[in-house]
Amino acid sequence: MLRTKAQSMSNTSSANGDGPDWGELLAQVAHKGDTMAFRKVYAHFAPRIKAYAINQGMHQQAEELVQEVMTSVWRNADKYCGSLASASTWIFTITRNQRIDLLRKKGRTSKEITVDTEELWQIPTEDTTIRSIQAMSTEKRMRESIGELPEEQMIAVRKVYYEGKTHQEVAEELNVPLGTLKGRLRLSMKKLRVMLEAAEL
Amino acid sequence: MSAHHPDDLTLLDYSAGSLGLAQALAVSVHLGYCNQCQSQLRKLNALGGVLLEETTPASVGANDDQIPEQNHSQMEELNKSFEALMARIESEPVEPPKRESTGFHNPLERYLPASLDELNWQQQTREIAKFDLTNVVDMGSARVALQKIKAGAKVPVHTHRGNELTVVLKGGFSDELGVYHAGDYIARDPSHKHSPTALQNEDCVCLTVLDAPMKFTGPLMRWLNPLFAWRA
Ligand SMILES: [Zn+2]
Repeated sequence: MLRTKAQSMSNTSSANGDGPDWGELLAQVAHKGDTMAFRKVYAHFAPRIKAYAINQGMHQQAEELVQEVMTSVWRNADKYCGSLASASTWIFTITRNQRIDLLRKKGRTSKEITVDTEELWQIPTEDTTIRSIQAMSTEKRMRESIGELPEEQMIAVRKVYYEGKTHQEVAEELNVPLGTLKGRLRLSMKKLRVMLEAAEL
Repeated sequence: MSAHHPDDLTLLDYSAGSLGLAQALAVSVHLGYCNQCQSQLRKLNALGGVLLEETTPASVGANDDQIPEQNHSQMEELNKSFEALMARIESEPVEPPKRESTGFHNPLERYLPASLDELNWQQQTREIAKFDLTNVVDMGSARVALQKIKAGAKVPVHTHRGNELTVVLKGGFSDELGVYHAGDYIARDPSHKHSPTALQNEDCVCLTVLDAPMKFTGPLMRWLNPLFAWRA
């Protein structure tokens, strides 16, 4: 469900510095409870979160996921840290965690303690690393680097990330041995790492 | 700084949110110790952000099977769903904020009944003790425990039915393949016979996660990657 490379290149967004400044809008939500700013964030991200849910095979809960994520964005806007992540990355991590949470609720057992999803998939709110890289440029470079990946590696990464499938399922779907799929994923990780590191220097 | 990390594919699955809970626990514990993996995770999360940004948006508010006739009604549905969300947010009580934490921390901290030294350890042998979390925390079918080995003591040679993940919490140990210190993340598949020995200076405490025995697709995978094929 991703746009083609050509389209994504012409797609202007915050990471390229041309679209709305989502970080600024989130700050207005955090400090002033600005509903107008939040409406803009909602109009942009809600349809994307819904597409994510549908890709993950969660048709029935797609609307619920959108509402849960956007509620969390509204309530936690003050925890957004622009030097750690771009707004879309931050919202992705919230979406991922809420998806896991929804799936966990279905299979709850009676064990004494439930370890919160947010403890298992923590979202830091402060930049504690020594070497801080601008999150915006990380995402911009990531966008460029993804465009450089060979098609078959891109497809493999997208399926794992975006369709929530296990490696085994993806291998079956693409009709390749599991080892081949893992090889493609490993290569893509290595390539992305090299490209990002080259850009950081 | 750790020297032993989850491999690329494990971090990829963690970032994508498709890793099992118990494995995610082990990765999460390791992240608290490791700047390198924190930085790699940030990049992987950015990959998720880019994919989210570039996805073809779906219409919100409308039923999935109902194809929006025109952009106008799609906008209307979106606005309606926004108003509904705001109404819901205003009517719901705000949950008190959970414990604030700004960076990565050990996820077990909040759930252990006492500090590592004061836990109600079950003595397995004179030198090895265990604190079983399997029936305490909700981790699916995996077995989760803390293990304590007396300084300098050797654990008898053993194999595992399933894949074993270990994260060192305190002290360190060595085995046939290396030496491990606090924060190190070690993955072993069932083909591994090992006999860990705790380092001399202090007791070693580890988190261990054992998953259920799993299907192998063939000997090739293990041959290709004998150390890290635990999720094959
Ligand atoms: Zn690491």
